[in-house]
Amino acid sequence: MGFLVTTLIFVVVGVIACLCARICCNRGPSANLLHLTLIITATVCCWMMWAIVYLSQMNPLIVPILNETE
Amino acid sequence: MGERGRGCCPPMDLMRSEPMQLVQLIIPIESAHLAVSYLGDLGLIQFKDICACLGKWRLLFVFIDAVTMVVFGEMLSLIIMVAGFFLSESMFSVSSFSQLNAEKSPFQRTYAIQIKRCGEMARKLRFFRDQMSKAGLPPAARSVTQDTSLDDLEVKLGDLEAELVEINANGEKLQRSYNELAEYKLVLHKAGEFFHSALSSAEAHQREQASNQTGEESLETPLLSEQETAIDSSKQVRLGFITGLVPRDKSMAFERILFRATRGNVFLKQATVDEPVIDPASGEKVEKNVFAVFFSGERAKNKILKICEAFGANRYSFHEDLGKQAQMITEVSGRLSELKTTIDAGLVHRGNLLQTIGEQFEQWNFLVRKEKAIYHTLNMLSIDVTKKCLVAEGWSPVFATKQIQDALHRATQDSNSQVDAIFQVLHTREMPPTYFRTNKFTSAYQEIVDAYGVAKYQEANPGVFTIVTFPFLFAVMFGDWGHGICLLLATSYFIIREKKLSSQKLGDIMDMTFGGRYVIMLMSLFSIYTGLIYNEFFSVPFELFAPSAYVCRDPACRDATTVGLIKARDTYPFGVDPAWHGSRSELPFLNSLKMKMSILLGVAQMNLGIIMSYFNAQFFKNSVNTWFQFIPQMIFLNSLFGYLSVLIIIKWCTGSKADLYHVMIYMFLSPTDELGENQLFAGQKMTQVEQSVDGEILFSPYSILIISDATRHQGESYAPLPDTEESLQSGANNDSHGHEEFEFSEVFVHQLIHTIEFVLGAVSNTASYLRLWALSLAHSELSTVFYEKVLLLAWGYNNVIILIVGIIIFIFATVGVLLVMETLSAFLHALRLHWVEFQNKFYEGDGYKFYPFTFTLLDNEEE
Repeated sequence: MGFLVTTLIFVVVGVIACLCARICCNRGPSANLLHLTLIITATVCCWMMWAIVYLSQMNPLIVPILNETE
Repeated sequence: MGERGRGCCPPMDLMRSEPMQLVQLIIPIESAHLAVSYLGDLGLIQFKDICACLGKWRLLFVFIDAVTMVVFGEMLSLIIMVAGFFLSESMFSVSSFSQLNAEKSPFQRTYAIQIKRCGEMARKLRFFRDQMSKAGLPPAARSVTQDTSLDDLEVKLGDLEAELVEINANGEKLQRSYNELAEYKLVLHKAGEFFHSALSSAEAHQREQASNQTGEESLETPLLSEQETAIDSSKQVRLGFITGLVPRDKSMAFERILFRATRGNVFLKQATVDEPVIDPASGEKVEKNVFAVFFSGERAKNKILKICEAFGANRYSFHEDLGKQAQMITEVSGRLSELKTTIDAGLVHRGNLLQTIGEQFEQWNFLVRKEKAIYHTLNMLSIDVTKKCLVAEGWSPVFATKQIQDALHRATQDSNSQVDAIFQVLHTREMPPTYFRTNKFTSAYQEIVDAYGVAKYQEANPGVFTIVTFPFLFAVMFGDWGHGICLLLATSYFIIREKKLSSQKLGDIMDMTFGGRYVIMLMSLFSIYTGLIYNEFFSVPFELFAPSAYVCRDPACRDATTVGLIKARDTYPFGVDPAWHGSRSELPFLNSLKMKMSILLGVAQMNLGIIMSYFNAQFFKNSVNTWFQFIPQMIFLNSLFGYLSVLIIIKWCTGSKADLYHVMIYMFLSPTDELGENQLFAGQKMTQVEQSVDGEILFSPYSILIISDATRHQGESYAPLPDTEESLQSGANNDSHGHEEFEFSEVFVHQLIHTIEFVLGAVSNTASYLRLWALSLAHSELSTVFYEKVLLLAWGYNNVIILIVGIIIFIFATVGVLLVMETLSAFLHALRLHWVEFQNKFYEGDGYKFYPFTFTLLDNEEE
């Protein structure tokens, strides 16, 4: 679906998660900041993993060579 | 202490330790016990041990005081008493204190007697517990019932113990008599058999002889036989006998020694007893033989008696007379049944007693331990000269001030004391303990971080990011969404049965697993995610998101096994393309991908670590660290490995064939050479020259000189703290902390070492992140082997039994190797990456933990 589109999807999911956390577990500004930090960290980690795998497959230098039995 | 720096960033839970303060409580004696009890319930203050080292000084002043009182009257003595109080307080600053008071031995402390009482009661409770477990009655769970005072409890425990000891003693006596009687019965039985058989054979023999004698008087009748019988009748000696029981394993030796001792002049008859008999002396079941020894003469009797004693053979009297034997047997049987009923009644009584104890046991136990803890704490406080109040010092979080004051107030009211307790905050230069407020979710992560080292007071807590990055790095090494689902199911069992399991006592390993249930839950969720990305479900790929990007070059697929497929469609949108699995070029592709991924993730985490050190520097207002540590570190790491990461990403985006090894190495060896086919972007040559220069500049002694100079300037800029209310103890530390002497050579060497460490560390730490690649490769290979060589092989035979066996082996192998061993392995390596590569960028970890005085810990205490 394209790199940028999926990146945007990750951002949107992150924002929605932050909002959900703010709505359901609102426990004061310092606790909220902690939740926010955790959610942003998780989103960034997940996005990085996906982006690395996607980028590496965009312009491959080698291609799959099947086994004889298949 | 906590007023250092706040303005840089908004406060975040768990990021830094709660601000702590040193408080001094002055509690009147009559409310002391209650006050400590309520503070223990609150659990927010850690008492320091300041017990009167002023022993000798105070004694001195009390003596002087007494003398002046007598000689000069009250006024002067009052003045001297007050002076003595303040002087002795200042005497503290002369001697140095440690947490453990060295001067007063445990026996000299004020409340030593109370503690001894508690110790006695604890001993009695332990005795009860032993008795209950021997009787097989487990103590009931603790119920919140009446408050018993310590004195009442002491009396009650004493009574119960006496009763229980008496019952036990009686029971033992009765049991012993019972066993003896049982043995006697056996002896009567078996010995009776001896005599009966002997008697009947003797009769038979006599009848034979008689028949011989009444035979024909022929010449063949031997004359000697008449003589023999005559001799026999005149020499009829009275034989004595002894009957008893001897253990079977000693019976041969017994016989032999009897024979030797009496020179063969005894007759021993033994009969085995079928079942083992309970020996009265030892109370155990022993195999025994009934014996009857026939002897003649007093001396033989003595010898036999002594031998019986030596062998532990129990002797019982026996009568030859048949009638008496029967009478004895009935008598013994009667007494046996009587004893049995008595013993049973005794056991029932004991059982009832233990039952009543068992109901209250846990509650008493808790009460005793609580009291003991309170008295230990009271011993840590010091009594002041007037003997009217106790002085306590301790650390407590700032937010707990109101609660502590409330507790003290309540204690004053409840003990009907006239004077209220005084609560004041002391200023000190000592480093406070570190306290993080954690809930059941974050406590496991905080323990993981604390296992390496407790955070210094108010430095940044790596636990915040560890909550996410630790399960994430685990998942990078574990990536398989089938295994992730299994882990998730296992841990959700723990989480659902949380309440029930937390009150039970689990084994050591289960305890650890239960404690880390939230960690494992996050680990499994991330594993499912990375499993979807690596596209492995028990090593099987699926086309979940879109058709694979690779197709055959021509419709007949002739070149598929030689030149390979071709990328005709869009890149597979989420994760690794399923076409790769099982192909011949799978490993080269995946290895390249995973190694580069490891480097990218590693550089990201290390940058995060260095940024954390920046936040620390800002918080502690340490500008030297900001300019001369943070900035050089960032520049060095990023100009080397940050640049490598950028090159990786450019290579992926453009599909260039440049060799990154070559680029990186020749960047330093010959930076001004032409790049040729290794060129990835325009201006690359200039960038590389610049970066190699950067790296070399940082190395130079010149920069080290600047750094150390700046450090020295900072050292002289410590402002003196306002001298209000120094604590009793930290007066000593005033001298040592105020003026740190700066030796230029020391700082120079320190900075040099630090620089070299960082430079070498940067290379080794980045390489260390390659373990992410190594472990994920191992996991996927193991998983492939189990799937192909076990499951598919079993499937190929088309035999149900082999299939079932194959499935069972597959399940065991998966659970044992992949779910247990690999989990532990990935856990360990993710932990190492955090502890070493992430934390050595910013974490000092040389603080000490806040251990408040609380009663909740008593529940977990082992006796």
